[in-house]
Amino acid sequence: MSLPLMTGARRRVRRLALAGVGVTLVTSACSAPGPGTTTSSVPSGNVSTALPTEKTTVALYLESNFAGQMTPLTEAFTRKYPNITFSVKSDEFANLLQNAQKVMASPEAPDIVRYPQVAAAAKNGLLTNLDPYAKAYGWDTWPSTLLDQMTVNTKGVRGSGPLYGLGIGYGSTGVYYNKTLAKRIGMTQPPKTIDEFESLMAKAKKQGIQPIMQSGKDAGLAFPYQALQNQFGNTDELKKWLYNEPGATFDLPSSLKAAEVLRKWARAEYLPSDVNAIDYPTMMGRFAKGEGLFMFNGDWEASNLQKNTKGNTGFFLVPGTSASAPHYAMAAPSSFVIPKNAKHADVAAFFLNWVHTAPEARRLVVETTGSSPGGPSGLALPKAGSELQRQTLAGAQEVASENGAVDFVANATAGILAGALSPGLQELATGRMSPRDFVDSVQEAYESELGR
Amino acid sequence: MSRRSGTVSGSRRRDRSLSAGARRRRREWTGWLYLAPAMVFYGLFVLQPLGRSVQYSLYDWNGIGVARFVGMDNYIKIFDEPDRLTTLVHAFELMLFYTVLSVVLALAAATLTRRLSSGAAHAARTVLFLPQVVPLVGAAIAWSWLYSSDGVINETLRGVGLGQLARPWLGDFDTALPAVGFVGTWVMLGFCMLLLSTGMAKIDPALYDAARVDGAGPVAEFFAVTLPGVRRELTVCVTLTMIAALASFDVVYVMTSGGPGRATAVPGVEIYQLAFTQAKVGAASAMGVVLMVLVLAVILPIQRLMRER
Amino acid sequence: MKARKAELMVGRAVLAFMVVFTLAPFVALVSAALQEAGSNPTGLAWPDLRNIGNFKTAFQVAHLPELTLSSVLLVLMVVPAALVMASLAGYAIAVRRVPLGGIAFVVLLAGLTIPFESLITPLYYQMRDYGLLNTRWAIALPLIALFMPFGVVWMRAHFQGVPRELTEAAEVDGASSWRLLWSVHLPLARPALTSLAVLFSLWTWNQFILALVMVEDPLRRTMAGALGAFRGQYGPDLVLMSAGSLLIMLPTILVFVAFQKHFAAALLQGSVKG
Repeated sequence: MSLPLMTGARRRVRRLALAGVGVTLVTSACSAPGPGTTTSSVPSGNVSTALPTEKTTVALYLESNFAGQMTPLTEAFTRKYPNITFSVKSDEFANLLQNAQKVMASPEAPDIVRYPQVAAAAKNGLLTNLDPYAKAYGWDTWPSTLLDQMTVNTKGVRGSGPLYGLGIGYGSTGVYYNKTLAKRIGMTQPPKTIDEFESLMAKAKKQGIQPIMQSGKDAGLAFPYQALQNQFGNTDELKKWLYNEPGATFDLPSSLKAAEVLRKWARAEYLPSDVNAIDYPTMMGRFAKGEGLFMFNGDWEASNLQKNTKGNTGFFLVPGTSASAPHYAMAAPSSFVIPKNAKHADVAAFFLNWVHTAPEARRLVVETTGSSPGGPSGLALPKAGSELQRQTLAGAQEVASENGAVDFVANATAGILAGALSPGLQELATGRMSPRDFVDSVQEAYESELGR
Repeated sequence: MSRRSGTVSGSRRRDRSLSAGARRRRREWTGWLYLAPAMVFYGLFVLQPLGRSVQYSLYDWNGIGVARFVGMDNYIKIFDEPDRLTTLVHAFELMLFYTVLSVVLALAAATLTRRLSSGAAHAARTVLFLPQVVPLVGAAIAWSWLYSSDGVINETLRGVGLGQLARPWLGDFDTALPAVGFVGTWVMLGFCMLLLSTGMAKIDPALYDAARVDGAGPVAEFFAVTLPGVRRELTVCVTLTMIAALASFDVVYVMTSGGPGRATAVPGVEIYQLAFTQAKVGAASAMGVVLMVLVLAVILPIQRLMRER
Repeated sequence: MKARKAELMVGRAVLAFMVVFTLAPFVALVSAALQEAGSNPTGLAWPDLRNIGNFKTAFQVAHLPELTLSSVLLVLMVVPAALVMASLAGYAIAVRRVPLGGIAFVVLLAGLTIPFESLITPLYYQMRDYGLLNTRWAIALPLIALFMPFGVVWMRAHFQGVPRELTEAAEVDGASSWRLLWSVHLPLARPALTSLAVLFSLWTWNQFILALVMVEDPLRRTMAGALGAFRGQYGPDLVLMSAGSLLIMLPTILVFVAFQKHFAAALLQGSVKG
């Protein structure tokens, strides 16, 4: 609410403009903002793999979707190590993206943060270099494909350099479908190609069934968009772009084609007519209520969907351009980082190690996240509880074995989602922006953000 | 010269309290002790950030690393990049709802309810304050719900057979900004009406009688008596609603965060996102300075215009 | 006489419409809040009183007791300090007529036009440098300062309305400037101070952007700031969210009803007087 303005003094208002200028000149005659030196992230080397004996509270900052899933893990940990307890703060994913760097830079930084944009945070010197822990705990012997996304070199490029994060659940994506609706349109098995997928949607549309339920308000359209993009090739170039390698570009044939197909789907009304008014929770609610045959989403929703649809949901990997094409999926660890300002970094690392290696923890990760627990390749995968989770887990393994995991485009830079992808996809889906302009706008925002 | 002419009336007073006057002159500067706390706070947390805003706006800074001096680049970009310029255009479009619609409707409503003075009317007027009382965030949540796909507005439209007009108001590129703007109308309308009513109550009834005698109809009466009589209040309404439109944040942030696309991107939300999502502190500060200048540029002419007429 | 009657009818109709228009969002919220929790509410459902328990659930999930405490703490940190500073400054300018007081006043007046958003970025970094982020001080200190323009202008206007003779008479009696303020001016200023206190309290309670930016933990924010977080946390459940929103708005409505007269006077006079 604004402060009411007094008009009785209005003739002074003109003078105040001048006063304002004077003040400004005086106060800005000081040095440049910010610290004088770059923050470096040289590891201290003195890390401990032992837990403290005194009472310790580890502070977590999570996205709200994840907070519930984390509780069994933290509770199990506290049962085992009673002097370690946890305090949890959570925020909606979009809010978390906006706030996390701010939070980590503060002196009151939490000990473990769920943060997807590891590169930006590492480059800004906000994170603890985990290499000493990796050495101490033997993380460096784990399958490297799992951890590559969370390494960042000094130039802020991912894929090499020190490790800055670990995953709790190595999530993978695909398509969920409503079994009842699938039966109604005669879908007996998951589509093998994009063409088949499209003809199923056409059938659904004809029968008055909403083919896709997706959230456009908060960039949920990035799921179908990138699903298509991955199948249309150029994934190696896309990864370079994702990892911010110098000279990388979003202007790839696959990017353009995916934009064209997505726009075609929007025109055919395969997307909800109010797609841009639907946010993620609404999407989940409406899909669970039976509105929508398909939904592009990740395995982290498997247990939710299993419960909320009483087993009426199935899962398949996004089909390729041909039946023999390898499978691709957006897949990324739910990356957890330890801020540089964390007060209990050693405990945080101990906890993360426990999550990856203790059988009970691994079982809980699969149960609650629906995703692979990662960790040493020698350890057996825990058995998943529900049929849906078995499907998602099997899908993730298939993608991993075909080397088809690609990080999310939204993770390329900190601002790309809010700055370009979200508004761009909204405009693309409503025909206000051409596929060409969409691709250009993403690249432009990317370059501007990275200062290229 | 002028001082001398004033002595005639001043002399009596001076005779009586000469010593008090001398004492007061000594105490004059000590009076600043009373003023100091307010000025220190104001200096620390308003003037200093104001200066820093201007300073930051000349740098490319991500808030954490080293800042790079870029001169006027951040300002040039505001007018160069369509995305940022759009936010300013939207701020002015919001004025149609916050200011024009509110003030016109408030004038009409205040005029038509001018003669009501019962207890019920008094109670009813009190209710109109509510939008000024509750947090805007709450109002935004309520309105989001009214506007939603299955919300009251669409259900009503469907109920009366106008289903083809139903739409996701906040998700539609064409309706999102007006929908958000209309919440501004809701917030400001009651307040403006009450302010204008208070003004109208102070108009001398003899003026109306005179107008009647001159044979003025209700319309002529409105323009001859009512409107000039509430000029002060009108200025306040226009000024306040304009500032509210230009500096809108709470409602837009909660309802659309600037979407769909950039259909409801406004300077306030843009500043927040630039500074705290995209880590472009310089660009955010430049936007803040432009917003501040814009507010002055809009209200100064209003103040003068309303005063001179 | 007949025309007069028609005019009154039209007036009543217009006023009734205005009331309905103003209340519509609240009514819609009540309707949504009383539908079945977890369901997708629809627009015009008749409120079902059997779902009154939604308010209890929302009360718990929204941490309302903690939130109220947090907001009350903030009000206590901001309002008394702002009132004291504004009174002292208004007194210095209007009664003591300190040298350069006019300039100080104009500089303060300028603050009335500054949008919060223009200051929020540097304020954030300032608070970070002071190490105050994530504490209520990061909201309270700037808020006190941001209230100064309105507060000082308001108190100055009040003190100017006090007859000068009163001041002079007291001075002749040898009253110190402090005594003059304490026993002559402040008692007279009670209505003005009460109004200002009500306004400041509501503005603190409803402050959003400062709370959003400065404090991470919703439970240490203002009510409005927490409401924003509440929306994120319980987004899927529109029913509970509506109930929670109503509960969070309720205290402001109660304060308003209790101090109605002061509030109306403050808002209406505050914006015209001066």
